[in-house]
Amino acid sequence: MHDAAETVCAGLAAPLDETGLIRAAQNGDQDAFERLVRTYDQSVLRLAANLLRSPDEARDVYQEALLKVYRNLHQFRFDCSFHTWLYRIVTNVCLDHLRRRKVRKEESTVVETSDGPVDRVAQLAEEAPASNPERQTWNRELSGRIASALEALTPRERTVFELRHYEGLRLRAIGDVLGTSEEAAKNCLFRATQKMRSSLEAFI
Amino acid sequence: MTCAEVTHRIPLYSYGEVSAELEEQIESHLADCPECRRALARHRVFLSALDARDDFAAAETMLLADCRRDLRLRLANENRPRAWAGLQWGSWLEALRGFSAFHIPFKVPVGAMALIALGWLGARYMPAKFGGVQASLSPAMFSTVQSIEPDASGKVQIAVDDVQRHMVTGSLEDPRIQALLLSAIREETNPGVRVQSIGALRNSPDSEEVRRALVDAVTHDPNPGVRLKALEGLKQYAGDPSVRKTLANVLLKDDNPGVRGQAIDLLTAHHDDSIVGVLQDVMQKEDDNYIRTRCRNLLEAMRASVGTF
Repeated sequence: MHDAAETVCAGLAAPLDETGLIRAAQNGDQDAFERLVRTYDQSVLRLAANLLRSPDEARDVYQEALLKVYRNLHQFRFDCSFHTWLYRIVTNVCLDHLRRRKVRKEESTVVETSDGPVDRVAQLAEEAPASNPERQTWNRELSGRIASALEALTPRERTVFELRHYEGLRLRAIGDVLGTSEEAAKNCLFRATQKMRSSLEAFI
Repeated sequence: MTCAEVTHRIPLYSYGEVSAELEEQIESHLADCPECRRALARHRVFLSALDARDDFAAAETMLLADCRRDLRLRLANENRPRAWAGLQWGSWLEALRGFSAFHIPFKVPVGAMALIALGWLGARYMPAKFGGVQASLSPAMFSTVQSIEPDASGKVQIAVDDVQRHMVTGSLEDPRIQALLLSAIREETNPGVRVQSIGALRNSPDSEEVRRALVDAVTHDPNPGVRLKALEGLKQYAGDPSVRKTLANVLLKDDNPGVRGQAIDLLTAHHDDSIVGVLQDVMQKEDDNYIRTRCRNLLEAMRASVGTF
C-alpha cells in the first residue's frame, strides 16, 4: 500500500543519476527518458487504475500523462522533486478523466467476447492470487461497497483520499502535487473520510 | 480537551496528520477515556476494512508491460524535442537561406566557418573505421560513472561501469536461464521484473534453490505484489515444514493484509494442528476482519480456544 510513499521518499533523496537522466532526456535522449520514467511508472499506473477503476482508462492516463511529461520536460527547472512534478501531471490527467466521467455516463467495464459478456475489472480481480471462495465472497461484497462510496466522492476528494489512504502520501506532499495548501488537502481528506465512513457504517 | 473534540480529530489523528502538540493532547485524553478509545478502535476497523477494495497492484504487471511498449512506440513517433529541433534539415535550410540577406563580404567567412563546422561534425560522428573519432558508447550500452580522478597532466581519468543489453533465450530447465531468473528476483530493482521472474520460475522443475528464492522474496521483498506472487509460487510447497514456518511468520508479521490473507489460505490448505498457537496469536493481533474470521472459524473447527489465556 505504501509503495508510493516509499517512491516519494526515494524521490526526495533523488538518486545522483536522476539529475543526469533528466538533463539527458531534456536534450532529447529517449533512452534516458524511459529509464527516468521507469522509476515511477508502476506507481503512476497503479494510481490511475485504482482511481479510475478501469484498466483501459488507466492505460490512456498512463500514455497521456507520460507524453505530457516528455513534451514538457524542457520546462522542468528542478525547483521541486521530479516525482512531485510528474505526479502533478498524472493527478491532473486523472482529475480530468474523473471530471469528464461526471458529465458523461460512465462506460461499462463489460465487453462482448466470443465467450459472452466479460467484466474486465472483475476478470482482473479474479486473476489475482487469492482463490478462496469464502474470502472472495467477503471481499467482493465489501469491495463493491467501497467502490460505490469512492464513486460518491468529488474527484478532488477521491484523489486526496486515494493518495493518502491507499498510496500513503503525506498531506504536505499531496498539497504540493495538487498545487494547494496542506491545510486544504487536510480539509479535503477529512470530508472524504467522513463520507466514506458514513457510507460504510452499516457494513462495518 | 473534550470527547467531542477528540472524536472529531480521530480521522486525521489515525493518519498521523495532526501536530505533535495535538497528538499529545489526544493521547492524554484517550488514556483516561474508554469511550474515546472505543471510538478510535471503531475507526481503525473502518480503515482496515478499506483494504478489502480490489487493488490493481497484483494484476497490473501485464498492463504495465503493454503500457511501456505503447509508450515506446508513441515516443518513437514524437517529434524530437527542443534540443534537436534546431538540427532538423528544414531549419538548417531556412537558416542557410537567411544568409543571402547578409552583405556579400560576410558570405565567404561565414561559408568557410560552416564548412569547418560540417567537417568537424562529420569527423566527430563518423564511425571510427571511416576515420572519425570513435564514439564512446554504443546505443544499447548503459554507463555509470564510478569515480573521477584528475592526473598530473591536467587530464581526468574516469572509471565507467558499462552494462551491455543483449537477449538470452532458453528453456526453464536450462541452469543458466534459472540462474538469471533467480538473480532477477534478488537483485532487480524493478518489481514488475521480479514478478515476471517469479512467474517464470513457478513453471520450472522443482529445485531447492527456487524454493529458497521464493521464501526469501515472501519474507524480504519490499513490494506486496511481489510477495503475493511468491506466495502463489509457494503453493506447491505448502506442505513442507520449513515453508509452513515461513507462512506462519508472514501471517504474523507482514504489514499487508492481502499478503497475510494469502498466507492463511496456504497454511490452512493442509490440515495441521500445530498451527493452533499461530492462529491464536493472530487473533490477538490481527485488525483485518477477513483474517480474524478465518482464524476464528479454523480454531473452532479444530475445537481450540479462540484466545490464549
